[in-house]
Amino acid sequence: MGAVLVHIDLDGERPHPSSLAALAAGRAVASSWGATLYAALVVHDPTEHGSAHSTGQISTKSIPQVETARAALARAGADKVVAAITDAPVVPLWAAIGSAWQGVLDHLRPRLVLFGADAPSAAELGPRTGARIGARLLSRARAVGLDHVELRDRDGGYVRASDGGAAVVMIGAMRSTIIGDDDVDVVVLAVPGGKDARIELASSAPAELAHTRAVIAIDDEVANDPQAMTAATRLAGLLGAHLVGGAGAARNGKIAPGAIIDRGTPLAPELCIAIGSPSIDLAGAASLIRIGSSGKGADGALTGPVGPTLVELVRALEDS
Amino acid sequence: MTVALWLGSAAPARSIRWLDGAIATAAKFGAVTVVAAGDPTWLDLAADRASRLGLASAGVPTDLQLDYLGWAQVMAAVARQLGATTILVDEASRPERFPEVAAIAELLDAAQLTHVVAVAPDGAIVHASRIAGAELQTCRVRGSAVLGLRIAGPPIDDYPTPTPSASMRRLDLAALGLDPVVLGHRALPPRANQQPQRTVERVAEHLAVHVIPRPRTRGA
Repeated sequence: MGAVLVHIDLDGERPHPSSLAALAAGRAVASSWGATLYAALVVHDPTEHGSAHSTGQISTKSIPQVETARAALARAGADKVVAAITDAPVVPLWAAIGSAWQGVLDHLRPRLVLFGADAPSAAELGPRTGARIGARLLSRARAVGLDHVELRDRDGGYVRASDGGAAVVMIGAMRSTIIGDDDVDVVVLAVPGGKDARIELASSAPAELAHTRAVIAIDDEVANDPQAMTAATRLAGLLGAHLVGGAGAARNGKIAPGAIIDRGTPLAPELCIAIGSPSIDLAGAASLIRIGSSGKGADGALTGPVGPTLVELVRALEDS
Repeated sequence: MTVALWLGSAAPARSIRWLDGAIATAAKFGAVTVVAAGDPTWLDLAADRASRLGLASAGVPTDLQLDYLGWAQVMAAVARQLGATTILVDEASRPERFPEVAAIAELLDAAQLTHVVAVAPDGAIVHASRIAGAELQTCRVRGSAVLGLRIAGPPIDDYPTPTPSASMRRLDLAALGLDPVVLGHRALPPRANQQPQRTVERVAEHLAVHVIPRPRTRGA
């Protein structure tokens, strides 16, 4: 059985929560399939590990930058940790870390590669990894099953132990669990000279609300319903979504002044939940759920009374 | 630089606002060819929206249903035929188009930028801003690159039904050096029913993969 490889983004010194969710899914799959679970991360080191003479070299030396992450990855069930050392600064761009990541792929030749769907590098690395190894691609999948674990997405796509060929899967939420101890071998892979000079990162700044990942849009009338508003706020917390609305909701203090969205504001979130009938353009949402209204093109529509429906939905999500 | 805009293999899922935005962005580069593949109705719509901004269009008529690598092969072949070195992709109109950005870049050995929300050509350089989580990254792009666009046009409720375009350049798969039988290996299997979920349980299941992961502590 081939390797199961999980890409790990770091959030400071610790693994990003979404990467840990992918690792939890990888653990379930690897145990079911009898595969080895590798957690791999790209680390910047302009000194000896990333220098030109060490191309492709493997060592088991201690790497200070990964010690904190190493313990977390061990506890999350990784069988081995691979640290790809690059002399390029690590930013979530294929141009910056693609070569180092390619070194990991060449070294392990995995059958299944997992990314946390909300990890910073997933959008740049996931599909390119799939294209490079000729793999099927699943987005926002999760592990299902107990003895025979498989990965499934919402569109009916799946990855099973009996499948031929490679797959790259973006893992949606899955609770990470502590199942191992703090000890795991770290394989250090030096992959220098990785930066693609065609892309130069000039600056970085906080993104505007219009570019947020997930949005909950509430209409002004529903915003005056305390039950609906409380549940919508809890839902936003669960999904890491921004709660937005019209000028009326902002005037009444129901949403933050900076969270006003009108119909002319272009939104392209991955997920949009429309509560009531907010007057915004929802056409750019990859996934659209309507609550308290129906309409064409939605992935889900709950047409009952808004407040109780939202409360029930939040409870169902918290229990899932 | 020679620029092509890939609009994909099917009409937008909900609105042509993002398609119009991608075409308007491409128009900043001057002479651009707008490319689409798929059924005749979709090709006519793509050609119509391109012609409104004075852009040339090319269409690949086919009834194949392919995955991201299959469509990337089609667009990469068109890009080679056009000699395009900068490829823009409308990645917002349909969610399944987003991975085609990386796949096209891989096939053309080009650099890639996904989730681009602003573009400004500046001679041989392209200034592009992209979303990375909660950050806005601004990058300078030189040389061959594929940029995935999430740039909206103005809100639009209705638009005239397009008529068959005489100006669209038709490109068949054989002329692009592609064998439909071989491409068929990248065919997508039939997908699950896309009817909207209408119960709290089913909607919660749909949303579960968007919940922000929170680590559990030992013994929890």
